[in-house]
Amino acid sequence: MPEPIGARTASGLTTLLLRKFALRHWRSAPRQSALLVAILALGIAVFFSIRLANRAALASFQNFTDLITQESDWLIEAPAGPLPDSLLLELRERLNPHPVHIIPVLETTAARPQTDPDEAIGSQETFQLLGVDLIGIQNLAVRQPQDRSWFGQTTASDASANDPARFWNIFSNPNAVFISAALAAREPLRPGNALTLVVNEQIVTLEVSGIIRSTADGPQVPATLLVMDLPAVQRLTGRPGSLSRIEFIVDDGPNAEARRDALKGQLEHWSQGRWMVFSPTDRRDSAATMTRAFRLNLTILSLLALLVGLYLIFQALDGAVVRRREEIGILRSLGVEERSIRRVWLLEAACLGVLGGSLGALLGWAAAQFSVRLVGRTVNALYYSTSLQYARLDWSELAAALLLAVVASLLAGWIPARTAARTPPAQILVRHALAPPGMQFWHKEWLGLVLVLVGFGFALLPPVRLPDGVRFPLAGYLAGLCWIIGGGVVSGWTLRTLGRWARPLGRWLVPIKLAAGHLVQPSGRHRLAVAGLVCAIAMTAGMGILVASFDTTMRGWIERTFQADLYISSSGAHSASTENRISPGTWKGMAAHPAVADMNIVQASEVQLSEGKTILSGGDLGLMNRRTRMAWMQPPLAEDVFDPERNEALALVSESFSERFQLRRGDPLAVPTPRGPKSLTIAGVFSDYGNERGSILVERRHFAAWFDHEQATGLMVFVRPGFSAVALRAEWLEQHPGLRIFSNAHLRAEILRIFRQTFAITYALEVIGVLVAVIGLGLTLGSVLLERRAELTTLRALGLNRAEIAQATAAEGLILAVAGVAVGLAVSVALGWMLIYVINKQTFGWTLGFDVPWRQLVGLGLLVIGTGTAVAFGVGRWGAHLPADQEE
Amino acid sequence: MKTPARIRVRAAAWTWWSLLPTLLAGEFSPPPGTSDGFAVPQPGRRFEFPRDHGSHPEFKIEWWYLTGHLYGEADRRFGFQATFFRRAGPRSPNDNVFTNTPTLFDHGELHLAHMALLDVREKSFIYEERLNRSGWDATSSTTTLAVRNGNWSLRLGTNGSPPLFLLGSIRGETAFSLDLSPTKPLVLFGENGISRKGASATASSYYLTFPRLQVSGRLTLDGREQAVHGQAWMDHEISSSQLDDDQAGWDWASLHLNDGREIMAYRMRQRDGSTDPFSTLAWVDTQGQVTHLGPAQFTWSTLRTWKSPDTGGVYPVHVQLTTVDPASGQSVRYLLEPLLPEQELTGKLGGVAYWEGACRVLDASDQEIGSAYLELTGYVGSLTERFR
Repeated sequence: MPEPIGARTASGLTTLLLRKFALRHWRSAPRQSALLVAILALGIAVFFSIRLANRAALASFQNFTDLITQESDWLIEAPAGPLPDSLLLELRERLNPHPVHIIPVLETTAARPQTDPDEAIGSQETFQLLGVDLIGIQNLAVRQPQDRSWFGQTTASDASANDPARFWNIFSNPNAVFISAALAAREPLRPGNALTLVVNEQIVTLEVSGIIRSTADGPQVPATLLVMDLPAVQRLTGRPGSLSRIEFIVDDGPNAEARRDALKGQLEHWSQGRWMVFSPTDRRDSAATMTRAFRLNLTILSLLALLVGLYLIFQALDGAVVRRREEIGILRSLGVEERSIRRVWLLEAACLGVLGGSLGALLGWAAAQFSVRLVGRTVNALYYSTSLQYARLDWSELAAALLLAVVASLLAGWIPARTAARTPPAQILVRHALAPPGMQFWHKEWLGLVLVLVGFGFALLPPVRLPDGVRFPLAGYLAGLCWIIGGGVVSGWTLRTLGRWARPLGRWLVPIKLAAGHLVQPSGRHRLAVAGLVCAIAMTAGMGILVASFDTTMRGWIERTFQADLYISSSGAHSASTENRISPGTWKGMAAHPAVADMNIVQASEVQLSEGKTILSGGDLGLMNRRTRMAWMQPPLAEDVFDPERNEALALVSESFSERFQLRRGDPLAVPTPRGPKSLTIAGVFSDYGNERGSILVERRHFAAWFDHEQATGLMVFVRPGFSAVALRAEWLEQHPGLRIFSNAHLRAEILRIFRQTFAITYALEVIGVLVAVIGLGLTLGSVLLERRAELTTLRALGLNRAEIAQATAAEGLILAVAGVAVGLAVSVALGWMLIYVINKQTFGWTLGFDVPWRQLVGLGLLVIGTGTAVAFGVGRWGAHLPADQEE
Repeated sequence: MKTPARIRVRAAAWTWWSLLPTLLAGEFSPPPGTSDGFAVPQPGRRFEFPRDHGSHPEFKIEWWYLTGHLYGEADRRFGFQATFFRRAGPRSPNDNVFTNTPTLFDHGELHLAHMALLDVREKSFIYEERLNRSGWDATSSTTTLAVRNGNWSLRLGTNGSPPLFLLGSIRGETAFSLDLSPTKPLVLFGENGISRKGASATASSYYLTFPRLQVSGRLTLDGREQAVHGQAWMDHEISSSQLDDDQAGWDWASLHLNDGREIMAYRMRQRDGSTDPFSTLAWVDTQGQVTHLGPAQFTWSTLRTWKSPDTGGVYPVHVQLTTVDPASGQSVRYLLEPLLPEQELTGKLGGVAYWEGACRVLDASDQEIGSAYLELTGYVGSLTERFR
């Protein structure tokens, strides 16, 4: 702890007290002090790392064109499908004579070819392949402070930079690709080298023609950005005439703002429903909105971890008050005021906060480099493609973390500070324990019951609805908090009861008699220690229940839904936002294979509903109904939805869609398509754990007509009896190396793996929770023993040996742990229920079956009881050696 | 991207050579095409208008080049330049990759364009360069004069007849929309409809000029619009030829004399610093009749230079021309004085910097007797070395 500067004035006393009083104690018990700082740091680290990782996940979503030119003022996108490039002529004509730069963009994804046909989904990074008019963007590139024009870049010497023949060679080369400096350095690649990629299901070899230039101070070009000439990307992806979006830049000038607004008005006016106008900020915001629930949930989870830490800080500071009580008494008798004592204690707590916070930030920043990948994987699987590699240090997040650390420490230190300040001057003469003020709360067991009931009230409340159909289960989290704290208070009753039950055993075993005697009327400290345990165990076990329920539900869903023998996608498809498709020529050839009994061809496109983006998929509904057991939330009431002749105006929607857009079976639904909006009726609601943004499922035949293409996102193949799926897979992999073909078992395993990965971050929180709770138990017992020094001396005088004293403490720890585990597990079941039926349902719209992993919970309980008892035994042995008068 | 600048270099070279009637004498029969597959101008071509005001994609290079002087409110004086270039890439089997499907993204032809405005009162010279591929954002019609590059365009009326209509802008807040009516018939330079560029049989061009266009229209300056009027000069050249290795650059001038006549003069500078013997000066009389004078019949001398702070180029921006007035047979002396020395286009996109500036024309007694545009190239780096 740094020594405050500037003594001998008004604050002179405080400084003196801090130095002679607080600092001396810290020095004399360095391990304990370090432990305290470490615990706080751990809590802060979890919070900080998750916040940083979240931030990185957001930052990774950007408009890639910003990197190569400058930020656009507006961009337009079709509500469904691509924009036709003929629109460029119309727009230029309409914009005449306004000086507006029009930037057409066709964006797609690509990946490196698979090296192993059995590799995991997500094991290859997803490249963003950006098609822009390479000539047109020169006009903007040359305006950058650092000229960022592209052509004329050569390898080492610039001798041929001005060679017109070289320019025309690159310009007319349909495979010319420009890569980032990062990729060039990593691979390594140089202009002239070949770069092999999977685009759609084709393996293509591109020629590196130059490096995308980036400025030192501007945004860095990510390694995964590739740029090609727009018509080349149209050709490569088999999407002639298609654009992903058109961006607009208005030249600067005194009236630029007015011209920008005018342009937006014009674009909206000319749209006639054909496109929507966004600003780049809107687009980033929608990415932020998309993951908001996910990020909020993570933040809340990290705050809960900190809550456990708060218990611990409280216990530690309280212990310190007990240890220094005599000293405080002396100070008080010397005339030091209550106020000064309290100030010193709070200052000490604040210093602890700063120290723990700083260390936590450091740890958290390091941990973020790891958690960023976990968060990135989830974002990749569920939302959009990112290539998160590291989390940048963010000053506002750092400030927030430090503030949180200090506030948490002050909060936890508040009651101990009051206890310290109110120590009577003659405390040195009074040996018996003085219940700290504020501890009374933990004695009011009825209040705990009230809190639990209030929690149930919260659990029934609906989620907070955010824009874009995002829901945040605020009430659910409040319910959880009520139960955790309420359960903690109620656990005092359990402790008393256990103490009463254990008492008879004391007839034979002295240590138990001693322990039970203390617990029949548990002190505030005892109650607090159990509450801390309850908090940690409830969270850990609750999360365990959620994960187990998820796992069981997923297995069941996969079992029923995934009935095909082979699942086929482009091997370039590694994220939720992949644009890699299978061309009709390829899948039609495969469908004609004699071994194929049935093939469900799935097409999909992102569509913009008025409330937000969702996925529109086309499949063979009849085949799906016949071949798989679809999991229905609301089954169709008639068979017509499965008949292509009758289902053009019908749709099935996923449960998350139904939750997000508040639509049920029978409700009408307007879906935008390139052929204009289609009015559909929801015929049924099915379970889908594949994405939380919801999906609409229609007959593929109609989808293909609406979108005017037959490119498939996936194929599900049912093999004819008598043919081998393994042989068919091998044959197709040979013919189409750009395809990824999963066997049924492999895909099931992959899906489960991805889902478990999503929960990976929660395991880290669990471990921290248990660790902190057990340490808290040890700290509390230490304080309790210090208080009982006189009693211990008496016991020793009465003939009790040190081993017996240690055993008595161990028994006390055992009973505390048992009480904590019992109540904690009970609360965890409620918490698990709430996570599954309230938080999960409200956030993701997924209904899960409730499954309690008993074996895991018992294991957790035994672990806590075992380590708790062991820690208590250790503390007891230390306590048995305490001389009557030594302060610690 | 240097190719467009190359166009400009050739422009001057051909213009200059085309003014040499002596070389055009005698029987000349060029081959039908160049070795790289482009057309070569043929003698005796019958031009059809408005079709031949439009684009000729069978030729490699083509440009429409406008310069002029404008007067706005309270006779506020301006100079403007508006140029549209078309340049085809090499024709090779590679090109066929995209040609199966008609595309808005041509990869075999580029359009470069320059717009510049001089505001004499404010002593400000602003310009913008633009480069686009042929296709969605740059086109040139093959049936009439209708060229477009982004939001810039130059076209004839809908029935293919004058006036011409120019839409231009420079950055966000400066724009002009001008009607240009020829006050003299189109001048066709060269012998028998073609102007040869050199000894090579393929080096020649079709060279068409409107020497004087009456201009009226609107000029928007910093968001404020005003009516303007004035006069302009327009070249249209069509060719597929190559650049002469020996040339370092050229000085070019077009003079609108107040008496209703025009003068065009070129001084080709060779790499050794000497003036090329092909340098020439041409008079256009009030009826549009052209009189060419050889290098022995005029002098071009530099009075003062200006050094560009951007490129370091030292341009001879004050010029004195002495020649013989064909109407009177008297010797005359004209001084070209720039309205502002800072009229350099730094050529970020085109790759070559040049000076294209509005000047006033003074006679021997320092009376202002006309206006001019002066073009000075090859003063920053060597053009031919870069584009050989």
